[in-house]
Amino acid sequence: MDSREKEFAQLIKDNQGLIIKVSRLYTNSLEDEEDLFQEIVLQLWRSYDSFKGNSKISTWMYRVALNTAITLFRKKSKSLPTNELDVNHRDFVEDDDEKQQQVSLLYTVIKTLPNVERAIVMMYLDDLPYKDIAENLGITEVNARVKMNRLKKTLKEQMEKYA
Amino acid sequence: MPEFDLDSLKKTWQEQPVQHKYDNTEILQMLNRKSRNYVKYIFWISVVELLFFSVLGLFYFFPEEESDSFRKMLERLGAQEAPEVENNFGHAYLAIKVLSLLITAYFVLKFYQNYRRIKIEENLKGLITRIIKFKTTVNAFILISIVLLLIFTFVLVAFIFYILDSQNIQPSGSNLTIIIVGIVVSTLLAISMIWLYYRLVYGTIIKKLDKNLKQLKEIDSQEN
Repeated sequence: MDSREKEFAQLIKDNQGLIIKVSRLYTNSLEDEEDLFQEIVLQLWRSYDSFKGNSKISTWMYRVALNTAITLFRKKSKSLPTNELDVNHRDFVEDDDEKQQQVSLLYTVIKTLPNVERAIVMMYLDDLPYKDIAENLGITEVNARVKMNRLKKTLKEQMEKYA
Repeated sequence: MPEFDLDSLKKTWQEQPVQHKYDNTEILQMLNRKSRNYVKYIFWISVVELLFFSVLGLFYFFPEEESDSFRKMLERLGAQEAPEVENNFGHAYLAIKVLSLLITAYFVLKFYQNYRRIKIEENLKGLITRIIKFKTTVNAFILISIVLLLIFTFVLVAFIFYILDSQNIQPSGSNLTIIIVGIVVSTLLAISMIWLYYRLVYGTIIKKLDKNLKQLKEIDSQEN
């Protein structure tokens, strides 16, 4: 096995949480989720050379993962309507921990947002600086900040409504 | 549930336990997997379209067949052989064909260049814009091919009328009607089939891309 492949596999293994989150937020079935995960890994591998040293790992990974989820990925199963909040969805799991329970509901609520807004919230929750959020999406930093502040309000309303 | 605060959930969000962890071997296996993505899908469909229209263009490169059918059509309308006019038709026809081949060569080059420019590590807006631009190149090629087809049909009809007029022939109404209706119907049918094909094949993909691009533009045009 080539050392470059080994190095890449380790990088993915260490950061798979990020890819899993993106896959979970942009699909509605386990099959699609796994497919998207694999497609993101493949696209990351293909752009691995261009990444080296040019940006932070998380920024590069987010960029490729979101681009794949939003523009490239061809789902197998038919998408479920996302305008209605489905609290019976598998994201809403039984959990004793109150914060974990909130995170589960948060997934369901974020999935009702349009694709680009989902991406903003996800990067915000993962503490990416606004500069990186804006660069990944191709919008201005000020607009990313304004949009996120509005989204916080929307999410608060939705979470309190369905809690 | 207490009042919701997104920031207070950041830590829990970031430390979510990963339920199924992939190991190195599984990750390496993924690298040999075939990609299922829209760009690749658009790429191969576009290659087929380019080939189809190019072959169609090349097919018209065999002048004998075309001249024969042109001659037969004139005979059916009662016209006599007119070598000079047929020769002129041949020249016009050759010019359209050469133009068509030059256009095809130009678009094949553009198509390849635009495809190579699509990079997954670009920002979302840039990526969507490039995919749309790539697809636009192919669409422009198809559109120009249709225009050439229409020009060719127009030249053909013009030559028929020119010959009939120069030989003072009044073709029987039914023959003329059959030929004109035939040309018009087949041209309209070809155009509507192409239109329908585009609606079916690209409608959903382009709609999805446009929707995302619109969201990005809306965010960038919001009032601060």
